[in-house]
Amino acid sequence: MDFFPLYNSLRVAAISTAVAFFAGIAAAYYIAKTPRIVKGILDCILTLPMVLPPTVVGFFLLKTIGPFGPVGAPVLELFGGRLVMVWYSAVFATTIVAFPLMYRTVRGALESFDENLLYSGQTLGLSNTYLFWRVVLPNCKQGILAGTVLTFARALGEYGATTMVTGYIPGRTATISTTVYQLWREGNDALAYKWVAINLVISAVVLIAVNLLESRYAQPENAARDALREDALREESVRDGALR
Amino acid sequence: MKSIKTMIKTVAFIAALSLVCGSFLIAAPAFAKELSVFAAASLTESLTRIAEEYKKIAPEIEIVYNFDSSGTLKTQIEQGAECDIFLSAAQKQMNELDIESDPKINTKRLDFIKKGTRFNIVSNKVVLIVPKDRNTKGIGDFKDVVTDKVSLVALGNSDVPVGQYAEEIYEHLGLWDTLNRMSRITFCSNVKEVVSQVGVGAADCGVVYSTDAAAAAKSVEIAAKAPAGSHRPIVYPAAVMKSTRLPVEAAAFADFLRSEEGARIFAQFGFERPAK
Repeated sequence: MDFFPLYNSLRVAAISTAVAFFAGIAAAYYIAKTPRIVKGILDCILTLPMVLPPTVVGFFLLKTIGPFGPVGAPVLELFGGRLVMVWYSAVFATTIVAFPLMYRTVRGALESFDENLLYSGQTLGLSNTYLFWRVVLPNCKQGILAGTVLTFARALGEYGATTMVTGYIPGRTATISTTVYQLWREGNDALAYKWVAINLVISAVVLIAVNLLESRYAQPENAARDALREDALREESVRDGALR
Repeated sequence: MKSIKTMIKTVAFIAALSLVCGSFLIAAPAFAKELSVFAAASLTESLTRIAEEYKKIAPEIEIVYNFDSSGTLKTQIEQGAECDIFLSAAQKQMNELDIESDPKINTKRLDFIKKGTRFNIVSNKVVLIVPKDRNTKGIGDFKDVVTDKVSLVALGNSDVPVGQYAEEIYEHLGLWDTLNRMSRITFCSNVKEVVSQVGVGAADCGVVYSTDAAAAAKSVEIAAKAPAGSHRPIVYPAAVMKSTRLPVEAAAFADFLRSEEGARIFAQFGFERPAK
């Protein structure tokens, strides 16, 4: 049995989750600080790929990064490589479709974040970067984790946009979702069922792993408070040492 | 309190009104007779034109088309989709539904076709297409797919008649196994998808019917015609389904398809009369 679709689906999902992870958190953090109107407009634009049918996203993508499109044509001329009908075309498609999930979940987490922790950190003279990585993010771990899971699941299961920009080339661009469709069309139900089983197993493993992680981070507020307390104690001991 | 009461009354009134109107809308299709015609995707343009002409002859009949690859349609019929007439792009799909055909082909012994209603309607040709005005590599032959001129060729998958014909052609040329090993084929689910992929440049070339190339003349052009004798004759069979609830109307439409008028419209789109 050819396991390429498994390998391809996993790498495409992993890469697009990674990209959506950083892009989603960055977007949520910076957009939260913008004025209301700007926030509303940006919100709408960034959430659009989630609301549009994947085939609509795939259509726009194909017209843009296709060899005759405004992005695809210059890339073809400058680098000689095509952006469609290759395995990484699926990464473009799945990232665009899954990004809104990460963005919205993290934004929700950031909005329910207790600002007092931020303020007390600022009174201690801590930098914004420090506060972001050691106070804000640990506090929003639940939301970020949930967003990552949703993003990975969506990327793994993406079909409509993927099939339009990558087609179906066995051994080069086939993913689990496009393979199951092809096998059904060819009447090869037995093999299709095998792939369905593999997909179920992967999904189950990912969800169980996430549940285990979530229970470990059950109390994020304590983590942030502990970090601040640690630093306050350290400062005190330094002062005490200096006095003695 | 008074304003809430008025609001509730207004909402109730609107709900009742929409229920009444809705029930009219649901009942309306019962007034027009709907013929459900499943047809191969390559017949999209010609059959649409035929429906327009037929509307002038039989205005009480509403033709509802389902265009897709013949393999998909055959599967849909097998799984109980409501269909009055089926037009396939190859004998294989029709044979799989016909109890009178060879048991080796109709392995499930399906019996969906009304006895005595099967006939051949048109014939077609297979061509190699490239994106219009962008054939920079000079692709001009079916054999070019294994050379450097082509990095990707779009074909119908094994469930699609035009994909089956393409496989026959390449088997005849002795290139099918090589082509598969090179991972150079992208498989599409119907002939229109092949046309779109080539039209937008995602594939360098593709194998479709000459009628599809003509219909999409704005985005694709023909680079080569299929070598003589490389595939079975492309004959489209049509038949009325056993489960039809409008046998008289279905037979009348089938007669129209076979008539001189029907043949004239098909010819306009590049189809030819089948060799009986």
